[in-house]
Amino acid sequence: MKPWIRGSILSLAMTVALSASATTAGAAPSGTFRFAEEVKLVTLDPYQHSGGGISYMRPVYETLFTRTPDNKLVPFLATGYKIDGLKVTLSLRKDVKFSDGTPFNAEAVVANLKRGIKLNVLAALKPIADVTSDDDYTVTITLKKADPSLISDMTAEPGMMISPKAFDSPGLDRNPVGTGPYLYDKADSREGEVRVYKPNPDYWAPDQVGLQRIEIWELPDDTARLNALKTGQVDVGIWLANPQAAIIGRTPGLKLVKNVGGYTYQVIIQDRAGTKVPAFADKRVRQAMNYAIDRDAYNRAVDFGLSEPAYQPYPKGIWAHDPGLEGRYKYDPEKAKELLKEAGYAKGFTFDMPSIPIFQPRLEALAGFFRDVGITMNIVPVEPGTLARRSMTTDFPATNLVINSQADPLYLGNWYINQDASFNTYKVKPSDELAKLLQEGVQSADPDVRAPIYRKLMNKLADESYLIAVTSTPLLFGVNEELAKNPTLKYRPGEDTVYFRGLTMKN
Amino acid sequence: MLRLVIQRLLALVPLLFIVSVLTFSFTSLLPADPADLIVGQQGTPEQYAAVRERLGLNDPIVTRYVHWVDRALHGDLGTSFFNSVKVTDAVMQRLPVTVSLTVVAALIAIIVGLAAGIAAALKPRSLVDRFATLGATFGQAVPNFWFGLLLAAIFAVGLHWFPATGFTPITQSPWGWLRSVTLPAFALGLASSAAIARQVRSSMVGVLQQDYIRAARAQGLSRRRVIFKHALKNALVPVAAVLSFQITVLLGGALIVEQVFAINGLGTLAITAVRRQDIPMIQGLVLVMVGLVVIVQLATDLIYGYLNPKARPS
Repeated sequence: MKPWIRGSILSLAMTVALSASATTAGAAPSGTFRFAEEVKLVTLDPYQHSGGGISYMRPVYETLFTRTPDNKLVPFLATGYKIDGLKVTLSLRKDVKFSDGTPFNAEAVVANLKRGIKLNVLAALKPIADVTSDDDYTVTITLKKADPSLISDMTAEPGMMISPKAFDSPGLDRNPVGTGPYLYDKADSREGEVRVYKPNPDYWAPDQVGLQRIEIWELPDDTARLNALKTGQVDVGIWLANPQAAIIGRTPGLKLVKNVGGYTYQVIIQDRAGTKVPAFADKRVRQAMNYAIDRDAYNRAVDFGLSEPAYQPYPKGIWAHDPGLEGRYKYDPEKAKELLKEAGYAKGFTFDMPSIPIFQPRLEALAGFFRDVGITMNIVPVEPGTLARRSMTTDFPATNLVINSQADPLYLGNWYINQDASFNTYKVKPSDELAKLLQEGVQSADPDVRAPIYRKLMNKLADESYLIAVTSTPLLFGVNEELAKNPTLKYRPGEDTVYFRGLTMKN
Repeated sequence: MLRLVIQRLLALVPLLFIVSVLTFSFTSLLPADPADLIVGQQGTPEQYAAVRERLGLNDPIVTRYVHWVDRALHGDLGTSFFNSVKVTDAVMQRLPVTVSLTVVAALIAIIVGLAAGIAAALKPRSLVDRFATLGATFGQAVPNFWFGLLLAAIFAVGLHWFPATGFTPITQSPWGWLRSVTLPAFALGLASSAAIARQVRSSMVGVLQQDYIRAARAQGLSRRRVIFKHALKNALVPVAAVLSFQITVLLGGALIVEQVFAINGLGTLAITAVRRQDIPMIQGLVLVMVGLVVIVQLATDLIYGYLNPKARPS
C-alpha cells in the first residue's frame, strides 16, 4: 500500500478511536444500583431524623463536611473552617445550586441550621447559640460551650443542606430537595417498599453521577433481605450481627464486608449511689460483674463470632480507643466471686433490668453469667421503642444500651458521666478526676491532642466499672462477590451506607 | 338476587359506622401515645404539647370522632400522624397487593382442596384417602410463614423459578405478577386448602352414599357425569360456607406471609399503624377491611344460592 494511504488510514483510525474514548469519558449515567436497607423510611427530612436509614437521604442531600473512605474528615460543601474560642467560621463552595435552582450560599446554611435548632431534634445542634452570615460565602457559628465534635457531626444529618425554598412545603418528609447527585423519584417509589432515585441533571460535578437509577429497598425482615441478596434482587444490603450475617460469610458468591464503626453494647449501672440496690454502690461489686462475663462465649453465641470482646466504649480503629485496656476484665468467675465476698455479697443480690425484643438474647446470656456468680438479674420487658426513654428515669437501677462508635467521646459526659447526664438518672456526682478529664477533652479539636486525655478517661471508667462494655460489633454489609470487586463501590466509614456519588455499575 | 345485593350493600353503611365507633374507642384505650412516639426521646415537654395540639389529641373523643366522620364522608380519610402520607393513598396502593394475594391463595386453596377432597372421597380408606387426610392434617398444623420460608428456600433461592421477595403489579407485567404472587399464595392458601379438602371429602362421601346417586348410576349415567354434575354440586354446599370463612382468615393471615416475602400489603400497614397508634391509618384500614369482608361474604352467599336452589331468596 502506498505510504501516504497507510498514513491517512492510520490517522483516520486514531481519530475514530480518540473520539470514541472522548464520548465514553463524558458518558451518560447508566446502570442500576439496588441497596437493601434494614429499617423502613421514617422521614426524608434530615433535621427530624434519628436512628437508622441515612441511606435514603444520602443520594439527595449533601453535607458541609464529609469523611473520605479512609476516615479522614474533609470539607465538602464547605471549603474550610477556623475555630477561635467559641466561634467557628465556615467558608463555603461557590459553584453549587439546589435542584430547584436556589443557590447554595451562606444564607441557605444559616437558614438550615436555624431551622434545625428550632426543631430541637438533633443533639449535635444543641451547643449552637447563634448562626450568622458574614458575606455570601462565609458563615459564623457561635457556640454556648466548647464543642470539638461539631465539625465531625456535620458529616451527617446536622450538616445536610435542604433548599430553603422547600422548608415550608408540607410533604418535605417525602419530597427532599438538596444539592446531591440524584433526585428522589416520588412517582416510581412505592411507600414502605422501595425508594427510587434518578440522576440530577444539574449536579455541580456531573462526572460523579454514574448511575441511571438507584433503588433502595425497605427490607426489615433479615431472612427476606438475605433471600433478596442471594437471588440478586438487591446488590448490597446492611446487616446487624445475626445468623443471616453469619450465613452470608459462608455462602459462595456472596461476601461479608466489615466497615469501620458500628456500636458497642454496654450494661450501664445507674444506681451507683446504692439508693435502690445497695450492692451497686460498691466498686468491687461492679467489677465482679465485669469479670463474670465470658465475652468470647457471648460473641460466639449472640453475635455469631462477628464482634470483638469490649472492655471500653470504643473499638480498635477509633482514636479514643486505648489498646492498653484489652483483656482488662478477662473472664474470671472465681475472681468475681472473691470480689463479691470481700464486698459482703457472698450470697449475691437481685436487681431488675429493662429489655426490648432485640436485646432479649443478649440479656439472657448475661443473666446466665451473673447467675453463676450468685447475682440474679430479672429481665423486665418494656415496649419496643421506649427503652431509651425508660432509661432516663429511675424506673430501673441499671440499663443496657448501645453506643455508636462514631459518636464523639465528649458525649460520654453528656450521656453517662456528668451529674445531669441523660442516663445518670440517680444524679451521682462524677469523681473530680473524671470531671477534670472531661473538661480537658473539649479544649482542643485536634484528635492527636485529645486522644491521650480520653485514654486516661477510659482507664478511669474501666476502673469505676459502671459502664460495662460487652462486645463491639462492626458495621456489616452483604455484597455480591463480583460486585465486591467494583472499585467505585466504597463504604462510608462509621455509617451503614455506601458512597452513591461516584458509584458506577456495569449492568 | 338483585334485591339481596342491594340489601347487603345498604346494610354495610350502619355496619361501617358501628365498627368505626368501636375502633375509635378501642384505640384510645391503647397504652402507646402517638405524640410521645413522634416527639421521641429528645423531645421537650413543649414539643410534646405542640404535637398533641397539632394532632387534635386534646379534644374530647366525641369531637375527634365527629371531625373524622365529617372528613371521611367527603372522601378524606386523613393523613398519617407520623408522616405526610395520605391514608387513602397508602391503603389504595396496598389494596391490590392484598386482594391479589388473597384471591390467588383462595383459588389455590379451592383447586388443591377440591382435588384432594374428591380423590379421597372417591376411594374412601384407600392409600389416596389416607395420604390426602395426612396432607390435610399437615396443612392445618404447619405455620404458614414457616412453609413460606421453605418454599422460598427451595423454589426461589434454590431453583430460581420464582423471585424470593417483592410483588410485581399486574399492570406492570402479568407474567411478573403471576411469578411474584405464586409462592406467597401457596404459603397462605395451605391451611385453607386443608380445611376445604376435609370438608369436600366428608360431604362427598355423604352425598355419594345417597340413593339418588345410585339411581343415577343405575340409569346409565357415566361415573364422571354423576360425580361432577350431581354429587359435587350438592357436596359443595357446605363447602361454600367454609370458603367464606376461610377467605376472611386469608385476609388476616396475609400479614406474616407479607413479612417473609417482603410484600407491601395491608397487613404490614396494619401492624405498623396499630403499634404506634396511628389513629387515622387504623380507622382507614378497618373501614376497608370491613368493606372487603362484607363484599366477600356477599359473593359467597350468591354462589351458595346458585348451588343450592333451596337457599335462594325467592
